[in-house]
Amino acid sequence: MRRRAFLSGAGSAGALALAGCLTQGGGGGEPSGTLTVATYESFVDSPSSSPGGWIKQNFEAEYDDVTVEYVTPENGVTNYVQRKQQGAPVEADVYVGLNVDDLVTIDATLGDDTRLFRELDRDFVSNAEHLRPELEFGDPKSRVLPYDTGYISLVYDEEAVDEPATFDDLTSPAYEGTLLAQNAQSADSGQAFLLWTINEFGADGYLDYWRDLQANDVRILGSWWDAYSAYLESERPMVVSYSTDQVFANEDDLPMSRHRIGFLEDQGYANPEGMAVVEDSGNVDLATDFLNFMLRGETQAEIAVQNVQFPAVTDDQVDLDDSFAQYAHRPPEAVSFGYEELEGNLSGWVDEWARTIASN
Amino acid sequence: MAELTLEGVSVSYGDAVALSDVHLDVADGEFFTLVGPSGCGKTTTLRSIAGFETPDTGELRFGGREMTGVPPEERDVGVVFQNYALFPHMSVAENIGYGLRFHPVDDPEARVAELLSLVDLDGFGDRDPTELSGGQQQRVSLARALAPEPDVLLLDEPMSALDARLREELRREVRRIQTDLGITTVYVTHDQEEALAVSDRVAVMHDGRVEQVGTPREVYHEPASRFVASFVGENNLFDGERVDGGVRVDGTTFTVDGLDAAGRDTGGHATLCVRPEHLRRDAAENRFALTVEQSEFLGEATRVHCDWDGRTVVWRTDRRVPERGAAVTLGFAPEHGRLL
Amino acid sequence: MSRREWTGLSADRTLRSLAVAATVVTAGVLLLVLYFPVGLVFAEAFGGSRPLDSFASTLTDPFYTGVLAELFARPFAVGVHLDNVGSWFAGVSVGPGGVDTPPLSKGLFGFTAYQAVLSTLASVAIGLPGAYVLANYEFRGRRTLRSLTIVPFVLPGIMVASGFYAAFGQAGLLNDVLALVGVGPQRLIETNPLFVVILAHAFYNAPLVARVATAAWESVDYRAVETARSLGATRRRAFRDVVLPQLTPAIATGALLTFLFTFLTFPIVLAIGGLELATVEVWVYYQLTEVLAFEEAATLAVLETAISLGVTYAYLRYESAQRAANPGEGPPREPLFGRASDAAGSWLARSRVVGALDARRLAIAGYTLVVVVLFVGPLGAMVLEGLTDGSGLTLRHYEFLLQRQASGASFQTKPLPAIRNSLVFGVATVAVALPMGLVVSVASTGEGRWRSLLETATMLPFAVSGIVFGIGLLRGLVFGISLPGGWRFVITGGVAIVAAHAVAAYPFVVRNVAPQLAGVDPRLVESARSLGASRVRAFLDVELRLAATGLVAGAAFAFAISIGEFDSTVILASDVAGDTVTYTMPVAVERYLGRRFGPAMAMGTVLLVVTAVSFVVVDRLGGRVERG
Repeated sequence: MRRRAFLSGAGSAGALALAGCLTQGGGGGEPSGTLTVATYESFVDSPSSSPGGWIKQNFEAEYDDVTVEYVTPENGVTNYVQRKQQGAPVEADVYVGLNVDDLVTIDATLGDDTRLFRELDRDFVSNAEHLRPELEFGDPKSRVLPYDTGYISLVYDEEAVDEPATFDDLTSPAYEGTLLAQNAQSADSGQAFLLWTINEFGADGYLDYWRDLQANDVRILGSWWDAYSAYLESERPMVVSYSTDQVFANEDDLPMSRHRIGFLEDQGYANPEGMAVVEDSGNVDLATDFLNFMLRGETQAEIAVQNVQFPAVTDDQVDLDDSFAQYAHRPPEAVSFGYEELEGNLSGWVDEWARTIASN
Repeated sequence: MAELTLEGVSVSYGDAVALSDVHLDVADGEFFTLVGPSGCGKTTTLRSIAGFETPDTGELRFGGREMTGVPPEERDVGVVFQNYALFPHMSVAENIGYGLRFHPVDDPEARVAELLSLVDLDGFGDRDPTELSGGQQQRVSLARALAPEPDVLLLDEPMSALDARLREELRREVRRIQTDLGITTVYVTHDQEEALAVSDRVAVMHDGRVEQVGTPREVYHEPASRFVASFVGENNLFDGERVDGGVRVDGTTFTVDGLDAAGRDTGGHATLCVRPEHLRRDAAENRFALTVEQSEFLGEATRVHCDWDGRTVVWRTDRRVPERGAAVTLGFAPEHGRLL
Repeated sequence: MSRREWTGLSADRTLRSLAVAATVVTAGVLLLVLYFPVGLVFAEAFGGSRPLDSFASTLTDPFYTGVLAELFARPFAVGVHLDNVGSWFAGVSVGPGGVDTPPLSKGLFGFTAYQAVLSTLASVAIGLPGAYVLANYEFRGRRTLRSLTIVPFVLPGIMVASGFYAAFGQAGLLNDVLALVGVGPQRLIETNPLFVVILAHAFYNAPLVARVATAAWESVDYRAVETARSLGATRRRAFRDVVLPQLTPAIATGALLTFLFTFLTFPIVLAIGGLELATVEVWVYYQLTEVLAFEEAATLAVLETAISLGVTYAYLRYESAQRAANPGEGPPREPLFGRASDAAGSWLARSRVVGALDARRLAIAGYTLVVVVLFVGPLGAMVLEGLTDGSGLTLRHYEFLLQRQASGASFQTKPLPAIRNSLVFGVATVAVALPMGLVVSVASTGEGRWRSLLETATMLPFAVSGIVFGIGLLRGLVFGISLPGGWRFVITGGVAIVAAHAVAAYPFVVRNVAPQLAGVDPRLVESARSLGASRVRAFLDVELRLAATGLVAGAAFAFAISIGEFDSTVILASDVAGDTVTYTMPVAVERYLGRRFGPAMAMGTVLLVVTAVSFVVVDRLGGRVERG
């Protein structure tokens, strides 16, 4: 951990008394025994299950003098982007939980000169060779390794609607007033679904499709939670969600008939999650070891089950429970945009879309 | 106890002049009244004495002690306001005892009881102020102001909110208490009758200035200005031309004794003042003919409004009054006429 | 009365230095925790090469300003605009179905204001009868109910949204009840999402209106009503001529606050209404936290704040013209239940009185039904969510809370620290916000236009987007201020959270206290001073005592703001690694939202109960203070 100087409030004058601490950043300290892993809340603190505890325990077991410390910055990685913008220190060694669009935002905001994450030398991450190629971020600077993925799909109530098979189904009268989606501005699932439609209809056609969807009375709520809770309350029979939905339904004894997975066009939009080493890290070697540990078959299985996502490595590397395979469905075909496609386009696509939906 | 001196005190709010070069001397133990119409500066004067206003210029002394810049709490003044200004969250006794927190006495409770008794409110100590009548509240306010034994008592229109009978009763009581205690008192009122009734001396104020200072008799009988003449008591004012031995008003010449408007040249402008009660039908001199217009029976006398060539003349008599429209000839003794 | 031992100047000097210290601290806190962070974000709006370009492009964008965009684009083309107005009116047609008007594009700002106005009207319409009942009738639990009016205020949006789905959704409680009386299911949220969003806003704000109006109603000078009635005014007329004028300032206060809160509304709109009903704040959030487009976000936020402050200024001008009513004792409360009148003479007279009263009680019963549906429904649904899972009733979500408390890892969120932090921060917030509010109230007593301007400035925390405030704190305090020598001045953790809460809460203290202070007869203070009290002492002995009810009301709101605050709490709490945890109950609720309702709703129920109990206690204590 970085050398920190705390001045206690008592005795020091003025605003310092209010504040608590002065920190001195800068100079890289000698590698210490603490690996600070920045991630999102539910990776370490989900009420159902989260892989954070297992990872900490097992990594520490392997590296005797190492302590894994989790931090969960509010607003995720954009918090660190802003830190970089302001010249404030990023006090983490590894970031776990990046999406491709995060990487695009990082580069669009910070430019080429300010680097938040390091370029990785994959030679030191031996397990990276087992990664599924379709999950790679396509990062030109090679900073990120995927560690798991979810697939966006529809979840529907088969007692209320037939299985939706194509995008065009959703704009047909049979599905009028049935779909709950999310705001692509603020929800990952919403953004993924939007990108899926762009993948299907192209940048020129997706807005027309969405106008049709709107005419067919789609409801676009704020967060995944907003939409999913409306779905759980039977407000509508279909919701944009994840293809692992039945895992939770199973745990909660909910009827499977209300948790059917619909892969439109036999596709699902892959939303891989990645990890990277922080540029300012004083523990680059340890951090790189951690990334390798994360891609180990055993860890991948654990992450898959605890985080309820699919492993990022090929199936032969992971030994998963039958029950996982039974309830977590992988789409016949995974689609997704890589870095190159999103770069320079993403915020424009989302903004045009949101203005189309919200114009009043 | 102390005498009180104001020298050249002026107060203004932006462009508006509230007080202009006021000089006053109040003697130790004197009951001194500031009287004048609203906006004349009397309340501003009182507030300057209390320290609630900071004069722009001038000096203010209590018994020779310079008071400029001294905050109100260090001036040892007691103030009674028109609206009583009792602390609504304190009982009557707590109100009266409040000043004793800052002016400790050996037995505060006894002192409060003594004051309650002084204002004739024995046994009211535990009441809430709101439970009392207006007159009672004003007595509490007086007792509260007196409790710390101030050097100067300042009363700002204390009777204005009370009905006429209560007002008279209370003002006699205030005067009695003031005389008993011998406390220097400055009393502000717009009611000239009240001012004349209670005061040792009166200062008549107008437009931020002191027009005249004197005993009630002096200001009544010898008004120094047209304003004082018309404000204090009722008066008939006739504008005319100064002639030898008197004044000529529209061809009628009136003789005035002593020619108190001395120094004025013959031929100059002069105003004649005659009090309504000095006009008499049986007067031998200064007679002029009028027409009776309206009369008001006041009990001990009748006030008659007459017309004299387009001027309204007020005449006060305890005799029988001619009927409306009747002609009447009135006159007055030269010693009762006064020239301004 | 005991003899006072300390009378001298030394005590006064202490008081004076205390007052000076409070002023300095207040100014410091406001500067550091409000103006600096918010200014940091707002400054981004002026960051372009031509500083006002971003405003020009926003104002002339029909997406944001609707039909007004053209007006902003060509402000002097009066003829064109008049033609447009003319052709709009030409398009109005009156048919059998009513008046048809051509569509009028409101734009994002227009719609945001529109829904805020509707929400305000709804909140007043629902809150005012509540104030009437609470102030005019006596019944068991009246005081408790009055205390509980603040509870909805602290609930996280996600709880309220899911409570609304559970209560008013297709398969919700309301439809279950309607089915019992043979009415088919109502697709309320589906058919009119705007209506339900407005109801949700009323859920938050109607109790606020009720609370403010009840306090005013309880201090209406009822002797004036008696006078009016003795002069021949009917009961209704006396209400209109005497009671209503004394209530309007409070109603206006409630309406203003509701407008400000709903104008800056965000999660609840998206959760229930969806993106089609998006408000400006949705765009602020997206640009500020997702794509980091600070210039655009700050431009929108500055415009939002300008509008909010404009409305606030107009209100304060109005309020300063209203001031001065003497506080009275309020109406005599009649029993809500039981015989209406034994005193009425003849049978006929009595039956008429009883008849009239019963009509009023019937109306109250109807109103109660509305309240039960609107408030008890969603609240009950929330509680129920915490007690059910797929297979019916269960305690497993509470078991989860206990288990998390007992064996959660150090980096996981536990219930007890959340409860403890909420309460500690709440009390500390009251302790900071009260003196702050007092200082600001005193500073803003003056006259006329300047006072309104100053008071408007003090309302800034209500007029600033919560997201802007949060991001400002993040960039200004959490990231730290760069100092020479590679040092950074960083403020996070409990102290910062309390400071942020106090900044968010003190306007409530000001709004409750300032009018009362302004209403104190200056002669009372002058009397005290002439009796020997220093200015500070007179303030403490007289003004402060007479503003006690306002202080208590302000304290309750400050406590509620602290308990319910989320935006800045989560930012200041999340960046603290390890040792001391600073998350609060609403933060815990949000963190327990995994893939399931249950744990979050169980935690939400804990929040609900802790808050409710706190307020009953606070109000009881406060009542004691008020009675002196």
